[in-house]
Amino acid sequence: MTLLIVNTLSAADEAARAAIEELTAAVQDYKVINTEGLRISPCVGCNACWLVTPGLCAIKDDYEDILKDYLQYDAVVYIAGTALGFVDHRMKNVIDRILPLVTMLTYIVDGQMRHVMRYEKDFKCGLLYAGSADKPYLDRWLGRVAINMGGQSLGAYPIESVKEVLACIS
Amino acid sequence: MHLVIISGAARPMPKSNTAKIIAAFRKGFEEGGNTAEVWYLSDRRQWQSAREAFANNELILFALPLYVENIPGIMLEFLEGLPPKAQPGTKIAFLIQGGFPEASQLRCCESFVQTLPPYFNCEYAGALIKGDMFGVNLMGEKLGSKMVLPFEEMGRSFAKAGRFDDAEAAAFAGREYLPASTLRKFELIGRPMQKFFMGRIAKSLGCKKKLDDRPYALR
Repeated sequence: MTLLIVNTLSAADEAARAAIEELTAAVQDYKVINTEGLRISPCVGCNACWLVTPGLCAIKDDYEDILKDYLQYDAVVYIAGTALGFVDHRMKNVIDRILPLVTMLTYIVDGQMRHVMRYEKDFKCGLLYAGSADKPYLDRWLGRVAINMGGQSLGAYPIESVKEVLACIS
Repeated sequence: MHLVIISGAARPMPKSNTAKIIAAFRKGFEEGGNTAEVWYLSDRRQWQSAREAFANNELILFALPLYVENIPGIMLEFLEGLPPKAQPGTKIAFLIQGGFPEASQLRCCESFVQTLPPYFNCEYAGALIKGDMFGVNLMGEKLGSKMVLPFEEMGRSFAKAGRFDDAEAAAFAGREYLPASTLRKFELIGRPMQKFFMGRIAKSLGCKKKLDDRPYALR
């Protein structure tokens, strides 16, 4: 299992550092992306990645490398701060920019419309969150995100519970 | 009755599906002497005015497109910086639109927005959800206007009670899941048609690749 870790907390955040240390000790092949200091703009919903330059985001910032990295690793673990019982806007912006990985074409999966995936990739994602949040809701949300990305959720866990996400990875 | 409408759409207003829906909703709401003001979070210069409008008024509607199963990142950022009201009594309603046709696709986001008003010492005034809105701008002015027309009636209805009626909102949302016969038709006829028409639209927008192009290498 190879692992991509996307951390939107400060790189100096103690809980994030501890989580990353534990995650990276458990896998041999990994990459850590600290988004602090990177230029990651919010998705503007222009649909260019679907209809003008398929698969390529029109916003030229530091996000493109993250998009490429999604395709290089078996699973991604997001490390996020929280707000209003949910992930904060830094993480939501990272997730919102994932759209170039799907096409605007749709098909039916389990009785619901889904995007046709752009790549033959089993997208596995987990979430570690710091702060107060509604865990059952985060599980539900991440599950739906994963389904729409043609993959599966590893679950959402408080940042102290790294072992639980690791149990799903290994 | 005065309504503050805050658009959480990230797409600039002239090309925003949400903006067109807001315009239709506002038209219905303002019939009979009601008034409304609209602020667009896609323009950060409007954020301060939106904050002030939120602080100074007691009926608020957030209108937004579904972004990866929830509210757009920019709307979340705006809300994170929004101070709670000192006094109770403000009502917040939500209008959520998305591209997929089934209402069930919008329920995860609806569940989240239901939790928001208490963070701002406000009351929840219901949510109106509607799918199948992807084409509002792409289909051109005439068809797009037809697609958003039902929101006018919802604006009239909202003006009567100052909130969304649950039963009416449920009926407006449409089917939670598409019937099996529709799904079969979509697989047989809808998918090839979708590929054909979207291919044509893409070409008209200057697209030179296939819609399922893979620009990056897969490990």
